[in-house]
Amino acid sequence: MSELLLVRGLTKIFGTWSRTHAVDDVSFAIPETPSIVNLVGESGSGKSTISRIILGLEKPTSGTILYKGADVFRQDQAWTQRFHREVQVVFQDPYSAFNPIYKVEHVFNVPIRRFALAANRDEKWAMISESLRAVDLRPEEVLGKYPHQLSGGQRQRVMLARLHLIRPRLIIADEPISMIDASMQASFLNILLDFRDRFGISTLFITHDLSTARYLGGDIIVLYKGRIAEYGGTAAVTGRPQHPYARLLMQSIPVADPRRRWQQSLPAAPEVTTTGTSEQMEQRDRCLFAERCGYVMPACWKSRPQLGRPDGRGAGGDASAAACYLVNPCIDSGGIVAEADLNLDVIASYREAL
Amino acid sequence: MEPLLRVRDVSTALIGRKSAIQVLTSVDLDIYPGEIIGLVGESGSGKSTLASAILNLLQPPQVLQSGSACLTLPNGEEKDLLALSERELRRLRWQHIAYIPQGSMNVLNPVLTVRRQMTDMLLQHGLREAEALEKARAALQLVNLAPAVLERYPHELSGGMLQRVVIATAVTMAPAIIVADEPTTALDVVTQRLILQELMSIRDTLNTAIVLISHDMGVMAQVADRLAVMYAGRLVELGPIHGVFEEAMHPYTQGLIASIPQHHSERVKALAGEAPTPWNYPGGCRFHPRCPFVMERCAHELPALEMHGPRHWAACHLYESVSAGGEAALTPASAGRGAHE
Repeated sequence: MSELLLVRGLTKIFGTWSRTHAVDDVSFAIPETPSIVNLVGESGSGKSTISRIILGLEKPTSGTILYKGADVFRQDQAWTQRFHREVQVVFQDPYSAFNPIYKVEHVFNVPIRRFALAANRDEKWAMISESLRAVDLRPEEVLGKYPHQLSGGQRQRVMLARLHLIRPRLIIADEPISMIDASMQASFLNILLDFRDRFGISTLFITHDLSTARYLGGDIIVLYKGRIAEYGGTAAVTGRPQHPYARLLMQSIPVADPRRRWQQSLPAAPEVTTTGTSEQMEQRDRCLFAERCGYVMPACWKSRPQLGRPDGRGAGGDASAAACYLVNPCIDSGGIVAEADLNLDVIASYREAL
Repeated sequence: MEPLLRVRDVSTALIGRKSAIQVLTSVDLDIYPGEIIGLVGESGSGKSTLASAILNLLQPPQVLQSGSACLTLPNGEEKDLLALSERELRRLRWQHIAYIPQGSMNVLNPVLTVRRQMTDMLLQHGLREAEALEKARAALQLVNLAPAVLERYPHELSGGMLQRVVIATAVTMAPAIIVADEPTTALDVVTQRLILQELMSIRDTLNTAIVLISHDMGVMAQVADRLAVMYAGRLVELGPIHGVFEEAMHPYTQGLIASIPQHHSERVKALAGEAPTPWNYPGGCRFHPRCPFVMERCAHELPALEMHGPRHWAACHLYESVSAGGEAALTPASAGRGAHE
């Protein structure tokens, strides 16, 4: 199967003297068939950096991004312009995405002119109205107004209307619903699902919220400190998470049902429990979750666990792969982990708890 | 059981040079000892305004138009927080009622140590230095922080730890009520769960009543005992958490619950339309332009918050007409069910 977008070994290091690994050897794929891929992680996990690199706003330190098989950083201007039309973005903040001195129609006029989408004025207005109706906005409600006269939910939907007009192949949505009201969030997500089903538009949905990802479906990639902790189909990752971090995330989702309350309390604050020595903490050839993990083994401090598949990609579908020695003890960057560094009792008790 | 805090008929307005725009309209609420009451609503619905109004912390141009908030002190005395002088209020704050403001990670002074900031308030209340330090240590322990945190500056702590410091400061004097405005909004889910756990354990150990303001129905379902739903400056529904989730009465609450994304492959229904701002509150019931069960009287009569079930109040004409003798064709049960199916 060929991919729409293939991210391979992506690494981004910020800073010269003190190096911050924002993204550390991340590989994933968005399939050719219209689909939604969720990139989930807490703040600082590198999810926004990945989206900025895909959009060309940031140069990676190493690694490649292939769009329809072509390396996006080695193409001519004509190809890049086509790429910029086919890959569009929705940012988190609906307030700063608009230029406040222009009326709302400006966000439609620019792409129509740039990509020559309409032949004349009438056609242009017809297109704009149709796109606004597609996202449940009445044209008379928003056209002729300035951005500050619209609510956050309306602005975010104007952004979706713009995408409806451009008809990209891929939308990069970077935390698009975290700043809009709860009752508006559902309609935003439904529009993304509609775009996929009716127009074949795929979405890379970036969020800190696993429950939103579960609603959208498709693949989920769980990031932790710039690395992929778990990668797989929605049902697998949310139903039976393999990586201890993914499990912690799932356990922490506040389920909106008072009959399903959290039973026992989570063990004490992770900030205060540090089991590693300072030398262990500094080196990066290890599992970065080790200091927070309740099942840590010597191997976790000695080398970086890889995702369970040799090609470095997740399983997808209804299975998932985790970068964790508890789940796949024999695979690491060098080959095979010394058996002495694994604690078989810990592995057995972890698998039992799964 | 007697309520600890009795809020009655609280209305606030934004005052301009020529006009006054009402924000909160006649809100009544009782808060009982040891309960966690969730205050939920969209941004602009008046949750934070209600909190500031109760605490007598409104800032101009927002002013109190009417209302009272009577706090029962441990000695049985009743004090109306909205009628006290600033001096008397200072004595009551922290000791009887504490406030954890929104974005409280940013309320700590960056150039003072945690110790200085936690003890300052206690010294103001007449404690000696050693006692104050002892109380600060105990409070930190309550939120699972090491005493060493006292000597740190705010920039040395993570967001979750700062939030714990602020919560610890609020509980140092064991107040009867804590008002917590969006205490977990900027935190990741794991830290959020830990902070909510701290709040629940404080309630369990000190029997503190907690008013928890949030827009997240998931958080409410997990920790609240009772839920108060706000819409456009009005309290539209109030009831036990199970009652509200399982049999929401107000069509707005029904829509809010129905729009929570739960499972994949099951599309949720989004509420149509937008919530009004104080500048364009519609006449009558403020939800009527979006309401699927709108009736004629909804457009010109503001429904009052009335009890329609066991400890379950709603401000909606659908139920009034039925309790008045069933003149409407729609029974509350069929109205309530219809929205879900």
